[in-house]
Amino acid sequence: MRSLIFSNNPASLTSRLGATIDVEQNHVRFLGDLILNLWDCGGQDSFMDSYLSTQRSTIFQHVGVLIYVFEVESRDMSKDLSYYRDCIDSLRKFSPTANVFLLVHKMDLVAGDKGAQLEKKRRELQHESGEVGVTVFGTSIYDESLYKAWSRIVHTIIPNATILSKHLTTFAEACSATEVILFERTTFLVIATSNPVQAESPFPPPRAITSGSSTPTASTALATSNGISSPPSSLSGTVIPGAEGGDAHKLNATRYERTSELVKALKHSCSRVREEFYALEMELPEFTAVLDEMTKNTYVLIIVHDPTIETAALKINIRLARQKFEELQSDSVGS
Amino acid sequence: MASSSNGTKSPPTQVQRTKVLLLGQRRSGKTSIQQVLFNDVPPKQTFYLEPTARIVKHVYDTVIPLEIWDCPGTTTIDTLGAPLAEFSSIIFVIDIQDSYQQPVARMLDFFIAAYQESPDISLEVFVHKAEAFTEDYKLENFRHIQQRVIDELLDISSDYEQMPLNFYLTSVYDHSTHEAFSRVLHKLIDSLPYLEDMLNVFCANSQASKAFLFDVKSRLYVATDASPVDAGTHNLCCDYLKTLNAFGPLYKSSSASPLRLTASSPSSPPKPTFYPSAAVTLAPSTQGTTLTYHLITPQLALLTLMQTAVFEDRRGLLEYNVVFFREGVQEISQVETDARTGTS
Ligand SMILES: Nc1nc2c(ncn2[C@@H]2O[C@H](COP(=O)(O)OP(=O)(O)OP(=O)(O)O)[C@@H](O)[C@H]2O)c(=O)[nH]1
Ligand SMILES: Nc1nc2c(ncn2[C@@H]2O[C@H](COP(=O)(O)OP(=O)(O)OP(=O)(O)O)[C@@H](O)[C@H]2O)c(=O)[nH]1
Ligand SMILES: [Mg+2]
Ligand SMILES: [Mg+2]
Repeated sequence: MRSLIFSNNPASLTSRLGATIDVEQNHVRFLGDLILNLWDCGGQDSFMDSYLSTQRSTIFQHVGVLIYVFEVESRDMSKDLSYYRDCIDSLRKFSPTANVFLLVHKMDLVAGDKGAQLEKKRRELQHESGEVGVTVFGTSIYDESLYKAWSRIVHTIIPNATILSKHLTTFAEACSATEVILFERTTFLVIATSNPVQAESPFPPPRAITSGSSTPTASTALATSNGISSPPSSLSGTVIPGAEGGDAHKLNATRYERTSELVKALKHSCSRVREEFYALEMELPEFTAVLDEMTKNTYVLIIVHDPTIETAALKINIRLARQKFEELQSDSVGS
Repeated sequence: MASSSNGTKSPPTQVQRTKVLLLGQRRSGKTSIQQVLFNDVPPKQTFYLEPTARIVKHVYDTVIPLEIWDCPGTTTIDTLGAPLAEFSSIIFVIDIQDSYQQPVARMLDFFIAAYQESPDISLEVFVHKAEAFTEDYKLENFRHIQQRVIDELLDISSDYEQMPLNFYLTSVYDHSTHEAFSRVLHKLIDSLPYLEDMLNVFCANSQASKAFLFDVKSRLYVATDASPVDAGTHNLCCDYLKTLNAFGPLYKSSSASPLRLTASSPSSPPKPTFYPSAAVTLAPSTQGTTLTYHLITPQLALLTLMQTAVFEDRRGLLEYNVVFFREGVQEISQVETDARTGTS
């Protein structure tokens, strides 16, 4: 999962990944000076035992976000849950303000009603979490659901995302755009959109898709710690990518994560011929769009439904807005 | 039973379709190939396809109207229900992982009978599921199958030495099936030399390094200019089309009308018809390449590669050349349609 989001790897290659030994640390420069310190924790029992004993304070201190991955069709759910409870206890002790995200993963393997199965898991996990607030996502590497979950996770650690959003709204108006979406450059996760502040919408069940073989693994705990001072909890429930937007246009609710997935796939195709994806402009029957570099670390997608607006105008607007957003971004991560 | 037409208005029933026969042993992958190419089925999903119980005739409209016969693995010349001479092309699918003896014998029965009835027929062999083997082992098997087919053919009679057979390594899990079927298609398009000429002229006039005319939905290319086709470039063009096809409906507005495509109402002054276009830039510098897309007819799109500097500086010229190219293709399509419906 990490290789999909943070490197440019396609889902079909993940079966070649070896088991993670102990903890793999990664620094991902996310936005300007905002560096994500990603701890990918191997999920085998012996590692888990050690995280919960000798390594306990190292692992659970300074955690900004805990992402805990469950396999939806686990071979031993009671063991998974027992490890999970221990982790939650440790987290409460060492990093009480951390946000907790639970991913019910490999949803593509569920044969029957995926929505119902996810709902059942969600209730079960919320119950196990006691008074710790958790957000549960159903995910699979074979569709866009993973991008949705990660966009939401990353959103909680971006300070001042609301301000970014406000500026995107202004920018959208200047472009006569229906919507403007800001993506992080390497992951193509959604950082902010021009859509008005919305309350969190109920998470719809992921698209039904089918898949081939599965390789059973133990569930993995992935702890992220980061050096950002502002408590992430103060931001939750503000602007949420994935919420209904575009008012009257009633745009497809999965468009953000689908866009992340599509652009990542195109980037991968380009890299296979040793080319580098740089920018995309489209004048399609339903809309006009420009996807271009906004700042050093971000890309912007402008969606216009007014047929009189041309891509050239949008590109000029992006050029004019770059400086402003570069400043905003460095302000918002407090350099 | 005819199914899966690509959304165009149903053509006049008497249109004469070019027929392609898809043969092979059971589970060799015939239906998978048809579904992945013409029905947008994701390759992984072919796992769930049912065995084909009787012949299914799929119609598909591209630069020429096609009718593809997907047969059960047990079909024989007698149970086919049509003379082999009716077909312009026979594709025989051989599973590279299977034993070759039976499929090769069956294939030669069909090929010899077809060749005797119409010596001009295209005889195509898809050595399929090739992704399952390593590069070396794959090529070794591929050569082995070719040699075996030729040996057996000559054993039967030396008359068949001239039989034109074409072999392709294919897999639904990469771009090879698209590439192979494109090459099969080229032989069926009478107007191919005209299309190629127009693409050559277009490249020269627009300073493009490569140009493809693609069927948008199937992502098969129906023609390209004279410069060699590099697999990487072909694959990137296929993926680019796939991206655009997926983006198309994603930001569809339920309130803003797609003004551009609706034919102008009788009262309003006629607007020029809108043709979608797109461009992806493949490097920050103008030294890099830009990949352009222009819809030419409802089914066909022109994809070209050119230097970003050329694209940016001579955009007007490019658009002008596209208009000319479009008129040419539309004229050729019209001639084709007239010939097939007998209206000329
Ligand atoms: N069907 C399915 N398989 C998946 C999905 N995500 C990962 N896999 C497969 O699961 C296997 C294990 O994936 P990893 O990412 O190595 O798992 P991990 O949790 O990091 O494992 P450890 O490092 O041992 O803790 C691989 O074969 C993946 O291809 C998914 O969404 N659906
Ligand atoms: N590995 C691999 N498997 C493939 C490929 N193409 C098809 N298959 C698999 O082969 C199996 C049979 O595919 P079908 O398309 O049903 O084969 P068929 O020739 O139509 O079979 P019948 O209709 O029974 O004659 C399916 O499980 C497909 O997923 C390929 O390129 N590679
Ligand atoms: Mg791992
Ligand atoms: Mg079949």
